[in-house]
Amino acid sequence: MTIRTRLTFWYSGMLVASLLLMSAVLYYELVYEHRAEVPAQQREQTPKQMADIIFLYGAPTLILLLVGGWFLMRRTLAPVTALTDAAERVHAENLRHRLTRSGNQDELDRLTGVFNDMLGRLDESFRRIRSFTLHASHELKTPLTILRGEMETLLRDAKTHPDHHEALEGMLDEMQRMARIVDDLALLTKAGAGQAPLVCEPVRLDELVREACEDARILGERQGITIELVACDAVTVTGDRHRLRQLFLNLADNAVKHNEPSGRVTVSLRRVADGTQVEFENTGSGIAPDQLPLVFDPFFRGTEAQRAKRDGCGLGLSIAQWIVHAHGGTVAVTSDTGNLTTITVTLPLSD
Amino acid sequence: MTSIRCMRVLVVEDQKRTASFIRKALLAEGFAVDVAEDGETALELTGATTFDAIVLDIMLPGRDGLSVLRLLRERRISTPVLLLSARGETNERVEGLNAGADDYLPKPFVLEELFARLRALGRRGGEQASSVLRVADLTLDTVSRTARRSGRLIELSAREFRLLELLMRTPGRVCSRMMILEKVWDYGFDPGTNVVEVYVSRLRDKIDEGKASKMLHTVRGVGYVLKEAQ
Repeated sequence: MTIRTRLTFWYSGMLVASLLLMSAVLYYELVYEHRAEVPAQQREQTPKQMADIIFLYGAPTLILLLVGGWFLMRRTLAPVTALTDAAERVHAENLRHRLTRSGNQDELDRLTGVFNDMLGRLDESFRRIRSFTLHASHELKTPLTILRGEMETLLRDAKTHPDHHEALEGMLDEMQRMARIVDDLALLTKAGAGQAPLVCEPVRLDELVREACEDARILGERQGITIELVACDAVTVTGDRHRLRQLFLNLADNAVKHNEPSGRVTVSLRRVADGTQVEFENTGSGIAPDQLPLVFDPFFRGTEAQRAKRDGCGLGLSIAQWIVHAHGGTVAVTSDTGNLTTITVTLPLSD
Repeated sequence: MTSIRCMRVLVVEDQKRTASFIRKALLAEGFAVDVAEDGETALELTGATTFDAIVLDIMLPGRDGLSVLRLLRERRISTPVLLLSARGETNERVEGLNAGADDYLPKPFVLEELFARLRALGRRGGEQASSVLRVADLTLDTVSRTARRSGRLIELSAREFRLLELLMRTPGRVCSRMMILEKVWDYGFDPGTNVVEVYVSRLRDKIDEGKASKMLHTVRGVGYVLKEAQ
């Protein structure tokens, strides 16, 4: 029951009670006290008349008060409803939004004020975290550039002992990885703040999916993984070509990496009622149910055993998720343990 | 392969250590190098000397790289400019190219890539458009889209063909992973997969198949190079 209904009931209940009390007092004062002075015939009639009068005037008043009270409650509680709606709309991406205050200094106005202040503090701390990550990733690039340059110079120097070459090359490999993590972090941070713009144009999704499958075929060749494109409807969407390519390559790569030797990847692109659905299904050890909600989290890389044999840094699926969301789509993952894992992307069709 | 003529490059970079290793590396590679630590000095130098290319960092104290670039173009100085940036955003690249830059390289970069891009800028407009590329006994016909080694036809997919073409256009020089991603896959960023490694190893299997002398080599942590087998 809403506060509004409850208050209306209480309010009308109290009215009925006071009405009854008033009738009782009136009856006592006007009839009971004077019963000796009144003729017997009238004595019978007065209470009946009184009841009639009370009912005749009381009933409409009660109805009026019920209806009036219902509206009064709505009016009073409107700021609360607005506050609830606004709070529902708030999430990390639109913390800049503020509620309008009535300015009449009442309890609800104060509540709105406090709520706004809280939003302000949240916004500020989110902004700080983002700017920290952005600055950190930016600042890391300068030492990375210098380290990389100095190492390459050493490698190219004829005086460098051949024994040191392998170590230097290993360092360069790691350097490349580190640079990629730094880049991905910066991208995810900007994406979180809505500052990673898309360059939109009409894009043929079927071409991109075919291309991703071709790459997946090559990626999985060594482990004997087969890639099947079971459906590929011709679909055009408005989107960022580079990001969508990255999305499909990420998903294809993911399906190959998390597969088993001689496994299988099944890809489909279908036009469905509310858009386009792209599915990447792969064989392999699957994902435990309690881990499913975590797969899109940054740095998630599954169980220890899975982590040991993979080289990624666990940001690929987070980026994939951002790309899908930025295009107004949804992405979900399902898995039967020990069997198939399916990632389903739904993108809205362009008009 | 040595440059026919020594290219004179101006490096505009405020980070002393970065400037110093770029300078050393470019000198070792046979470029003539001048270094400017800020935009004003760079503008003075370009007014006095003619350079073959400018390596311009976007983040500079005072006047930033993009505004230096705009001023250069306003002054009708058309020296090719390669922008360097630690931010590495796609829109920054577009902004830079719109402001009149000729190329863009995000930090951290592979030195070989800097050399390759600078050489490309130096050659600008004068690239020979030969339809048949040849490195030792390996030939690639860009018109009939066929590749042969010692006369034996090599079956290549479209992407492998583009990869081989890229490597054959710069024989003996290392092609970085990023450059391959950009030229063969048309990616402006690292998609974070080992697709390049896998394609290169496939291509290597195809061209070096049954040969004692290998032509396609990996330079670990740097990139790949195609050179005459020794």
